[in-house]
Amino acid sequence: MKIRILWMYHDLMDLYGDKGNIQVLKTRCEKRGIECEIKTVSLGERADCQEYDLFFLGGGADLEQTIIYEDLLKRKDSILEAKASGTAFLLICGGYQLFGQYYLDQDGKKIDGLGIYDYYTESTDRDHRCIGNIAVEAELDGRRFKAVGFENHGGQTKNVGSPFAKVLKGHGNTYKGMYEGYADAQVIGTYMHGPLLPKNPMIADIVIARALKRHYGEVTLEPLDDTLENRAREVMLKRLGVQ
Amino acid sequence: MRTPLIVVKLVRKLLSMAGRGGSLPGQLGLMMDKDFIRRFHMPKQVILVTGTNGKTTTSNLIAESLRRCGLTVLNNHRGDNLNVGIASLLASGSDLSYNIKADAAVIEVDELTLYRQFEALHPTGLVVNNFFRDQLDRAGEMETIIRKIIEVTENFEGDLYLNGDDPNVLRIADHAKKARIHLYSVARMDESTVTTNEASEGKFCPRCGRELKYSYYQYSHIGRFSCPYDHFGEIEPDILVEDIDYQRRTFKADGKVYHSYINAIYAVYNCAAVLCVMKNLGLDTAGADDVFAHYRLKEGRNEVFELKQPCVIDLIKNPTGANEVMKEILARDGKKNICIFLNDNDQDGHDISWIWDAHFERLDDPQVERIICSGTRAYDMALRLKYEGLEDRVTVIEDSTQAIHALNEMNMQSFVMCTYTALHATRAILKKEAQQ
Repeated sequence: MKIRILWMYHDLMDLYGDKGNIQVLKTRCEKRGIECEIKTVSLGERADCQEYDLFFLGGGADLEQTIIYEDLLKRKDSILEAKASGTAFLLICGGYQLFGQYYLDQDGKKIDGLGIYDYYTESTDRDHRCIGNIAVEAELDGRRFKAVGFENHGGQTKNVGSPFAKVLKGHGNTYKGMYEGYADAQVIGTYMHGPLLPKNPMIADIVIARALKRHYGEVTLEPLDDTLENRAREVMLKRLGVQ
Repeated sequence: MRTPLIVVKLVRKLLSMAGRGGSLPGQLGLMMDKDFIRRFHMPKQVILVTGTNGKTTTSNLIAESLRRCGLTVLNNHRGDNLNVGIASLLASGSDLSYNIKADAAVIEVDELTLYRQFEALHPTGLVVNNFFRDQLDRAGEMETIIRKIIEVTENFEGDLYLNGDDPNVLRIADHAKKARIHLYSVARMDESTVTTNEASEGKFCPRCGRELKYSYYQYSHIGRFSCPYDHFGEIEPDILVEDIDYQRRTFKADGKVYHSYINAIYAVYNCAAVLCVMKNLGLDTAGADDVFAHYRLKEGRNEVFELKQPCVIDLIKNPTGANEVMKEILARDGKKNICIFLNDNDQDGHDISWIWDAHFERLDDPQVERIICSGTRAYDMALRLKYEGLEDRVTVIEDSTQAIHALNEMNMQSFVMCTYTALHATRAILKKEAQQ
């Protein structure tokens, strides 16, 4: 088996160790004998999104987001085609925001999003920036689990139809909010850095299974030894008082 | 308004009699008088030093070099670089009428709070070293830090000493129209590279937003860059370092040979900043060379402890710093063990995701035998290494005393990397372990 990952703006949208997510996906595929091809695409470079099984977009600071958004908007048709063809999406922070209607930054500048979802994001003042360790409970593809991460965003994302998870500790989409991220059967959008996947291998495996689905249907992934992963997550869950 | 100063001086005296220092006196001063820092009559030369990495060393080197020229210098040599530390420093160096009794003040200032202290300190010069990603959860994004520094220097009429090889530092020059700009740079050398996997900053021209072209990198995003469209980065440095000789630990600048305190490119940049200041002030640099050659790094920076086999401890606090420390470790011959203390307390930054931006894959070296992970986020560190295929060599020992003891028992040269809040405690443990 093989998955092809499209890693968008790897050189610009790579805040807070988001590249670690790619490393985790690759390693977890390879350990199971699944070939994992990673294609990086940046500003002005051609990519047919529908050729890929997974579309990954990480977070960036305001500056980077301003630099890439026009380039991203030009790819809207290609992204919609990919979505229609069954490509899975993993979007972190800025990447998540840009799939919504718009992002209003701190200086009051409005950046148009792809408008694929109804949610929109507006920046807040410094005192309401959502920073810190976060624990959530998610139910995804028939599995219910707790996950941890680190959030650091000024943007408040509102009007989210189907959130990714319930916040157990931390903020989520809005300051002291109840819900975190956006998710449906194909897309996971989240504010959770950390990076997201190393300590939450169940999410990594859901993403891999979703990416495989396009060509191979429902696949049961061989379990891996996640002792360290689980331990690292439990340390944080315990500290946050939700374990 | 003498009362606050008298109280601060008194508290300082009492504390120092009790063998303690710290920021309490400054804190009191600022509590009693929010303009406490502003009240001081500063000396003729006030040089502030800021940036992400190397502030303490650079400011100490400048202070010492000035002293060698016969000047009396007030300097926060321990790196107490927040307002409270600076308030304490000023109180310690002044008479009861707020007159600083020195020819010069060389003050390291935290890059996040510089904009709040800048005017109050009446600087005549500002040195800006570099901007790397550092503790972003505390700092907010790097761009914000740079913008704030640009704001406060826009009307600055003094001397700006800038690292011309860091685009994020050089862009300050574009806005500081009233300042005299002095640049330092390090010329291409054998170790320079044409490509890099370390750079995460400084990719775009701050003038036009288009991609910068690098002809070479020295480390991280530091190197010779320029914008093909508007010529940003085409500089004429006041100090250009050439001919770095790592064998002899020397480098050349302005036709003279200087010695470096450590074989590392970032150290050469720190020295270059010092020479840039000295040159502008028209001071002799013979003393500076001696200062460079004999400078002793702060405790916990490349410090050796005599365990059964030598053990070198270093601070790591951001990807660039960690990358440079790993380069130094791997440059040492022979098999070695490594111990990493990863904490996430306030001063470390709560977000430890930076370990995924650092190149820990470098530890996948045949001469690295065992890696012990410790600290409050020991498992995160172990996990990071697991994803570099190092799992078989990794052990987690959460308790720091046990971790160091285990390291010593393995009886091999070793290297300890610590985040900020682990440094002090780990040094104490190493001291104890060395005595056994």
